[in-house]
Amino acid sequence: MTAAIIVTVLVAGGVYLIAQRELLRVVLGFILLGHGVNVLIISAGGMYNRQPPLLGQQDRAAMADPLPQAFVLTAIVIAFAITVYLLALLKAGDQETGGDGGTRSDSDHDPAARDDPDRERTERAGGSARGEDR
Amino acid sequence: MLPLIVLGGSVLLALAAPLLARLSGRTAGYPLAAGLAALGVYANTSAGAIVDGDVLTASWDWMPALGVSFGLRMDGLSLLFVTIVLGVGALVMAYSARYMGDGYPVGTVYGLLTGFAAAMIGLVTANDLVLLYVFWELTTILSFLLINTAGPKAALPAGRALVVTATGGFALLGAVVMIGVAAGTTDLGVIVGSPEVVLASPLAVPAAALLILAAATKSAQLPFTFWLPGAMVAMTPISAYLHAATMVKAGVYLLMRFSPVYVPTTAWSMVLVPLGLLTAVVGAVLALREHDLKAILAQSTVSQLGLLTAAIGVGTSYALSAAVLHTFAHALFKATLFMLVGIIDKEAGSRDVRELGGLRKVMPVTATLTGIAALSMAGVPPLIGFVSKETLYEGFLEADFAPGAGPVAAVTAVIASALTFAYSARIVYGAFGGTLTQPDLYEPSTAFLAPAAVAAALGLALGLGVGVLNPLTDRATTDLYPGAEPATFALWHGVNAALLLSLVTFAAGYALFHWRDRVDALLQRLWVPDGSAVYDRIRTRVIEFGGLVGKPDVDPTPAAVLARPVLLLPVLAVVAGIGLPALPGYPGPAVQGLDWLVVVLVLATVAGAAVTRSVLAALTLTGFAGLATALWLLLAGAPDVAMTLLLVEVLTTVVAVLVLRGRGERLQRPARMRATPAALTALAAGLSLGTATYVLTGRRPPSEVGGYFLDTAQEATGGTNVVNTILVDFRGMDTFGEAVVVGAAALGLLVLLRRTSDESPGGTGDAGAPRRFARDGPADTVVMRVASRVLFPVMLALSLFLLWRGHDEPGGGFISSLVGGVAVLFLRLAHRGDAWALRLRPEPLVGTGLLISLLTGLAVYPLGLPFLAPVYLPGEVLLSSFIFDLGIYLMVVGLMVAAVDRISGRTRVGPVLARRDRAAPGGTTP
Repeated sequence: MTAAIIVTVLVAGGVYLIAQRELLRVVLGFILLGHGVNVLIISAGGMYNRQPPLLGQQDRAAMADPLPQAFVLTAIVIAFAITVYLLALLKAGDQETGGDGGTRSDSDHDPAARDDPDRERTERAGGSARGEDR
Repeated sequence: MLPLIVLGGSVLLALAAPLLARLSGRTAGYPLAAGLAALGVYANTSAGAIVDGDVLTASWDWMPALGVSFGLRMDGLSLLFVTIVLGVGALVMAYSARYMGDGYPVGTVYGLLTGFAAAMIGLVTANDLVLLYVFWELTTILSFLLINTAGPKAALPAGRALVVTATGGFALLGAVVMIGVAAGTTDLGVIVGSPEVVLASPLAVPAAALLILAAATKSAQLPFTFWLPGAMVAMTPISAYLHAATMVKAGVYLLMRFSPVYVPTTAWSMVLVPLGLLTAVVGAVLALREHDLKAILAQSTVSQLGLLTAAIGVGTSYALSAAVLHTFAHALFKATLFMLVGIIDKEAGSRDVRELGGLRKVMPVTATLTGIAALSMAGVPPLIGFVSKETLYEGFLEADFAPGAGPVAAVTAVIASALTFAYSARIVYGAFGGTLTQPDLYEPSTAFLAPAAVAAALGLALGLGVGVLNPLTDRATTDLYPGAEPATFALWHGVNAALLLSLVTFAAGYALFHWRDRVDALLQRLWVPDGSAVYDRIRTRVIEFGGLVGKPDVDPTPAAVLARPVLLLPVLAVVAGIGLPALPGYPGPAVQGLDWLVVVLVLATVAGAAVTRSVLAALTLTGFAGLATALWLLLAGAPDVAMTLLLVEVLTTVVAVLVLRGRGERLQRPARMRATPAALTALAAGLSLGTATYVLTGRRPPSEVGGYFLDTAQEATGGTNVVNTILVDFRGMDTFGEAVVVGAAALGLLVLLRRTSDESPGGTGDAGAPRRFARDGPADTVVMRVASRVLFPVMLALSLFLLWRGHDEPGGGFISSLVGGVAVLFLRLAHRGDAWALRLRPEPLVGTGLLISLLTGLAVYPLGLPFLAPVYLPGEVLLSSFIFDLGIYLMVVGLMVAAVDRISGRTRVGPVLARRDRAAPGGTTP
């Protein structure tokens, strides 16, 4: 039950942030989504056995399933590598646009996004924010 | 062994062909011809035993788990086809040695042609359905490549041939799977040996339909005939070999092979006989309509293949033996005619009967040979084509799948054959009859004519002495119709129905030839559906449809791309929820008191991170959500995972802060147009996954595979930390792959952000402006520097200690490398610009780590052990998994160094992202 609630919250938060314009929010959403899925995978092993799978130190019958743990461990490292890469993209976007243009995701440079009804508004909002900064 | 030696020998010839061609140019055709001929003779040394009923087999395990073997067989039918493939192959090679002049891709053609011969031998000797399929596809691909040797003009027809025949290949794959399932084996001998097993299965009918589809595409039956005339853009030796004598017979072979299974069913006949006869008549009409000699021959091949298909469909022992003999006869006379047409084309510079004429006066030998082969095709005695045509008539008369089927089939065959007679006459008369238009031509060299002469003479000799073929054709017929009483071939059968039909054929054929101008005028007015055009239209539509399907993904926004998979989640959840049975209970209490603390923490931090507009708060709250997750992992009994996540959170936060220095501190308020759907989508996705977690996980006893690892880890690997033994021992290959992802991310980062020596301040930021993070981090202080001198060695030692003990205690490659990463980060931040701290370079770290891990994994291969099998030092110290972990350690540290180096340092965007139209500031070169 608790695992289910945690998954719900993390995934919902992650998806919400990924759907935003700013690349930083997308990166943070990606991190939260990763956590949510990792909790799901661990809970697939069963939440009734909670002893660490360290042989000789714990009760074998109460040990947690080691396989999902191994999956999640590597998943965390890979998610970390991708997160670092996404942050590098953020920085690359900064250098390209000169400053905090990169806070917004690349879709703003995208010709296909022109049809987007809230594009103009965001442009104005972005413009004023920049003006304020200066 | 014999089938393997024949197959292996032809493969060796194929490998040697390009070398021979390099050494001796086009004359390499002669040794290749000799090689193929020798293999053919060798294969026929077994003829005595095979005629007596022996089946020579050779078999090796290939995919034992699926029961698929690399099995070859040589029975009567196989030997007949092998003889055709090698015999015609030898003639075509010898012919090519004179046909190809300067500018031909000699090595390629010889290599592909002999390779094709090998594939064809594999196809007709395969004793396993899967193997048969593999060789089938190989012939398709080689045919495509061979057509393409004709240059750019061949691209379109070659593509058509490939798509049509590969579609048939796909159908064959389906049939192979179905028959394999129905029979419980893929052994061809067993399947055709007990047809009742397959026929009892409901899969028998769809499998037969797919087999017929496969055969119809390969052997150019309606409506797939169009690819074969198109394939004539290939040079003549290729057309003679693939698209007349051998490859197009593969479909015929397939139908013959499965005759023992399907002949007893009426539907088999009801499909094949009308299909074949219709193709035979249509092909013959189209052949008579053509003026290009090669096009006549191509349409004629379509027509003759139709007769074969129909005869197989009739399925009586007489019809089947007729099909066997006619396969042989057709290969002989059609290859001869192609070779001779190639000679005419080369000598006269044209293949059009309207331009050629009277060549008998200047090329009498060529004319005679063409006449002999054409008589055989027309079914005139005493040639082999006459015998096979007569037997076909007899066979068609036996058709009994419907009332009156026999006479109708025979009359239809007579119509096709009368047309055949007429276009045979057209070929000979068109080129050699009438008035001489090119008097300065002369006979080609003997060497050029010899292969065609041999084939033509064989057609005559085997017509007169057709009896010598009886033992082999009898055996081949009984192979595909056990217990059959095959027809005994003889040139003279006395006066019977078939002879009368032959006479009718000659009379009608001669009439068509005599009034050829009127017939031609009539035929030219005939509207003929253009198969190629239909194919091209379908192809265009398919490509347009593909564009339509892919359209949403062309230049989309990230949110739009992600919306589809994310929205699929609730749909899946609803679908899965329908008909869900009552949930089983948990084997034990699944919730502990402290879990609720994590719930509260996650709820608070995620909600905060979602709504806050402060960059710093969003970052911190996300980090805290990670820490709460780590706490949950600890509670769940996963200390290794929890430690990994904790370290990752720290490192992520540091890297993020480095990125965000010098940027605005505020995030935008999401537009309502975006926020509301995003929130709804997010809620739906979250609830779907949460419900799935609640419903689908943990409601079962501990998994067997988990128990296996707990029980065997210590014994098998010597480690007691089961999670880490899974990572480095049980699933070492996976872990290696994952470490490679980390290395790839590091390298990607290095390419993305190029280091720049220009130290002038970049960006448009004003350092003094408020509400921005300071450009120089707070880390660059004296205290940090001093502390780092002490802490760095300690942290490094700690990380190495964790690395060492990872096999038994929490630790291991990933955790220790993250600790090492923190140490490196610390050092680099404290000593920015300090020379000795910059000595660590990311590229060598990643490269060395990758090599170490890979070599450790591979080092045990020479001992016959699998990837990363454990190797112990004397004294039971585990060596290999430690070194493997060390490699992973270096890769992850490499990522950290790359991140600090490029994200905190002065960099410019690499050429990957740099755009010409945007002159970026800060010394960035466009």
